[in-house]
Formats: sequence, C-alpha cells, structure tokens
Amino acid sequence: MSTAIGGTTREHAVCIDSVDMAFNVGNDDEVQALSSIDLQIEQGEFVSLIGPSGCGKSTMLRLIGDLLTPTSGSVSVFGKPAHDARVDQDYGMVFQHPGLFDWRRVRANIELPLELHDWSKADRTDRSAEMLQLVKLDGFGEYYPRQLSGGMKQRVSIARALSFSPRLLLMDEPFGALDEMTREHMQGELLRIWKETGTTVVFVTHSIPESAFLSNRVVVLSARPGEVNSVIDVNLGERTPDTREDPKFFQTTTEIREALRAVEGAV
Amino acid sequence: MIATIVAKRIRSLGPALLVGVAGLTLWELVVRVFRIREFLLPTPSSIRSELVDNWSMMRHAVWETGRIAVSGLLFGIFAGVVLALVTTRFRSLNEGLTPLAVAVNATPIVALAPIFNAWFGITGTLSNQAVVTAVVFFPVFINSAKGLTEVHPDEIELMRSYAASDWTIMREVRIPNALPFFANALRLVAPLSVIAAIIAEYFGGPQDRIGNVITSNAGLARYDVAWAAIAVASALGLALFAGALIVERVSMPWRLGVGGGDSNNNPGRET
Ligand SMILES: Nc1ncnc2c1ncn2[C@@H]1O[C@H](COP(=O)(O)OP(=O)(O)OP(=O)(O)O)[C@@H](O)[C@H]1O
Ligand SMILES: [Mg+2]
Repeated sequence: MSTAIGGTTREHAVCIDSVDMAFNVGNDDEVQALSSIDLQIEQGEFVSLIGPSGCGKSTMLRLIGDLLTPTSGSVSVFGKPAHDARVDQDYGMVFQHPGLFDWRRVRANIELPLELHDWSKADRTDRSAEMLQLVKLDGFGEYYPRQLSGGMKQRVSIARALSFSPRLLLMDEPFGALDEMTREHMQGELLRIWKETGTTVVFVTHSIPESAFLSNRVVVLSARPGEVNSVIDVNLGERTPDTREDPKFFQTTTEIREALRAVEGAV
Repeated sequence: MIATIVAKRIRSLGPALLVGVAGLTLWELVVRVFRIREFLLPTPSSIRSELVDNWSMMRHAVWETGRIAVSGLLFGIFAGVVLALVTTRFRSLNEGLTPLAVAVNATPIVALAPIFNAWFGITGTLSNQAVVTAVVFFPVFINSAKGLTEVHPDEIELMRSYAASDWTIMREVRIPNALPFFANALRLVAPLSVIAAIIAEYFGGPQDRIGNVITSNAGLARYDVAWAAIAVASALGLALFAGALIVERVSMPWRLGVGGGDSNNNPGRET
C-alpha cells in the first residue's frame, strides 16, 4: 500500500487505516466522532472533505496532524507515523478559527513558524512581505489582529500556514469567512500554489462548488459517527475562471450534492 | 496627533479634577460652618499649612516608607512571578499550591506585622518589607498563574502543530497571555504596598516613617499633622498606582485602542 521494498514507489502523503475516534471514552458524554475510516491520499493530490456539521471533518484533520490520537487504527503521513511528520514539520495547518496571537503584529504572526524554524531575519521579512501580498493584505503588516475583520484574520492565518511551504496543507474551512470575490481569488491562488509547489492539500469545506472547483477527489462523510460515505473523482482538467460555467462542473456539483443529500437524509 | 492625545487626556481628567476641587471646597465649608472641632476633622487649608510647615519631616518620612513599600513590592512581584512560572511548568505543583495560596490570600496578612517584628527585628526595615512582600506576593502569584494556565486551547494546538517545546509555548503564548492578568494584579498591589507598609509601621519601629508620624501625632492630638501625613501617604499610593498603569501601557501595546498602537502607519486599502 505504501512504500515498496525497493523504495521506488512514492509513499502516500496520508494513509488513514481503519481509524476510529471517540471522545470522552467511558464517560456519559462519550461521542463516537469517526468510525472505521480508510483513506489514502496520494502525494500532490488535492482532496476535499465535505459532510454535515459535526460529522468529524475537523477531527479528521486533527488526526492527520497528530493533534489527536485515534482510539484505534493508525494514521501515517509521508510513510511515517503522524507524530513523526508533525515533529518534522511536514504539514501546515489552517484552523477553522484563525487563532492569531493578539500580541503579535500581523507580520510577526505570519513569521511565527519561520522564527520557530530559525529562519534569518532578512528571509523572514522577505517571505512575510510576499505572503501579505498573496493574501492581499499588503499595508496591514504592522496592524494588530484585533484591528482586522474576521475575513482578514483568516487570510493572515492562511498566509502563516503557507509561509514555510509545507509538503502537506491541512485546511479547515479556510475561506468560510470570506466574501464571494475574495473567496474565488483565494481559490485561484491556492490552486496556483498547489500546482507550483506540488504540495498535497486536504481541504475541509461546506461549499459544494468550492470542493468541485478545487479538488481531485471529494470525500463525502456521513454524520455521527462520521464514515466515508462516498469518494467522488473530479475530472475537470486545468481550472480556469470558465471552469465554473462548464457543464461538466455542473455535473460534478450535482453528483456531490446528491451524495450529500443521501447522508443528510440518513440523519 | 500628540496635541489631540494630550487634549483628550486633559479633557478626560477634567471631571475628576472638578469633583476633587468641589469636594475639598465643600469639606472646608462644612467644617467652618458647623464649627467641627479640630480633632474630629481639620480643614483642608489647615492640613495644607501643616504639610508646608513640616515639609522636611514629611519628605523624609515618605522617602523612608516609600523605600520600604517599593522594595517590598518589587520583591513580592518577583517572588510571585517566579513561583507562578515554576508552578505552571510543573502542573502537579500548581494543583497543590494554588488552592493553598488562595486560602492564605484570604487571611489578613498585615496582622502578622507584630510577629514579623519579633522575627526580623523592629529597628531595621526588614520586618516591614517582609509584611509588604507577603501582602503583594499572593495576588501576583494567583493572577500570574491564572494567566499562564488559562490559555486558549486553539493557541496551544497551533503551537503543537509546529512541534514547539514547552519552553517555546511558555515564551510565545503563556507569558504574553498572562500579561493582562499580571497588570491587573499590579494595579491592585501597587497601592496595597503602601497600605501594608503603613499598617506595619503602626506596630512600632523607628519614628521617622509615615505610619509612625500618623500614630505619634494623633497620640499628641496634633490631628492636622496626622492628616497631612495621610495626604502624603495617599500621594505615594497614587504615584505607585500611576506607575502600574504606565507599566501596563508600555508592556502591552496591542491592548491600546484601535489605531493607537500604530498611529504612524498608513495602511493600504483592502481590496
Ligand atoms: N475535544 C472534543 N471533545 C469532545 N467531543 C468533541 C471534541 N471535538 C469534537 N468533538 C465531537 O466530535 C464530533 C465531530 O466534531 P468536528 O469538530 O470534527 O466536526 P466538524 O465536521 O468539523 O463540524 P463543523 O462542520 O461544524 O466544523 C462532534 O460531535 C463533536 O461534538
Ligand atoms: Mg469543523
């Protein structure tokens, strides 16, 4: 499944192997969040997770990022246990909540992972300027987070996750707080970065068109406990602004919508 | 820009000044009109003249008491912060010590002053410094420990995603998070240190400190002098409180009003 003996085949970026996840096991408030999840993500793939609220999408990202440990089963990232991948800084994460540090200016927030990786001051400054431009916040570097709107904060947190060019990006509804135009712009930028860097992306979203536009594959989860209901392959070729008006795009969104309707109906 | 800030400051101080002046005037009038006896309540004007007449004595006394209060304050802050850092680092220690500290904090520590006099000697400054330190220590410890531990779980999770060490999390998250809690404690203990020093002085010791000036002059029925000393003591307390506010401003620029932290910054338009 992953590395061949000779090491010639590339290992999967993410390999989730019969994972169960329950919270507060043994207590009255025990929650079975995920149940028998099997999922392999190839290197360089763009995979979206979609499903009803509370079905365990954020939990799944946290398991991949080794911020949670599965109740049973195993998670490996680039062929190593998720823990080792975290220590090796193989992934960057955009949380559902921007989670900026109030006491750091926007620029310093973006530079935080770079500081922790011992980048030189000059390199940090260059990179954060580049990132600010990317998320269209040039001029806001010296602001404090509390001086920004919710969508602006979310863009800072995206810039922070991208700043050190991780091999794997875990993004939890990163564009949820953005207006439609900024959202489409950010989608385009994300695809550009993804293509240029060959990074792997696992992307949680509530938006059907967004998942169709961005992904190679869309994983539809059912609710409580979260299970992989279906995996939809998306073959839309090179994405351009016209893709959104392509009949094939329409077909894909319909397919995702029907899969979702099936799991929502089952709740 | 500076001018408008200064103007705003003055305007915001205006009402307080007005109330202060009105209060003093009323006090003066009430004492005069109702012929209240001197030993019950002297007039502000007689307190002021005693202050002027005894200025060199007062200045010396406030210096002596001020030294005790400030040194005790600094030492108490230091001890409180260090212990908070240590207990945060070792969770089990925290769980044992914090309830104890809360309990001890609820007991009137100044009541220990006579005992400290016996322990540390009544002639030096050590005994009274120890009282101030003990009074200052607990609020600083409790608040700092709270600020160091009550961190948003998302922030810890982010740092964990960077595989940050406990020490890095302490430096980058816990300590900045604790600053507002610490500032609250500082506002509380800065004036408290003066109160503690003066009460400790009531239990004896050298006669050239504010607390002793108050008790000895009250004992001699020189109430206006005692009141003058009280005025000096409150000025000292206010000065330390103002110092605490300045520390708060300087250490947490991000808490200033929106735009206040970077008035020299001209942002581009968001597109
Ligand atoms: N730390 C936790 N402790 C207890 N239960 C939790 C915890 N985190 C998540 N859960 C539970 O696990 C389930 C899945 O939560 P999760 O946050 O993964 O959902 P989600 O799919 O991301 O939802 P949304 O789309 O609303 O963000 C929920 O029922 C939630 O109550
Ligand atoms: Mg979620």
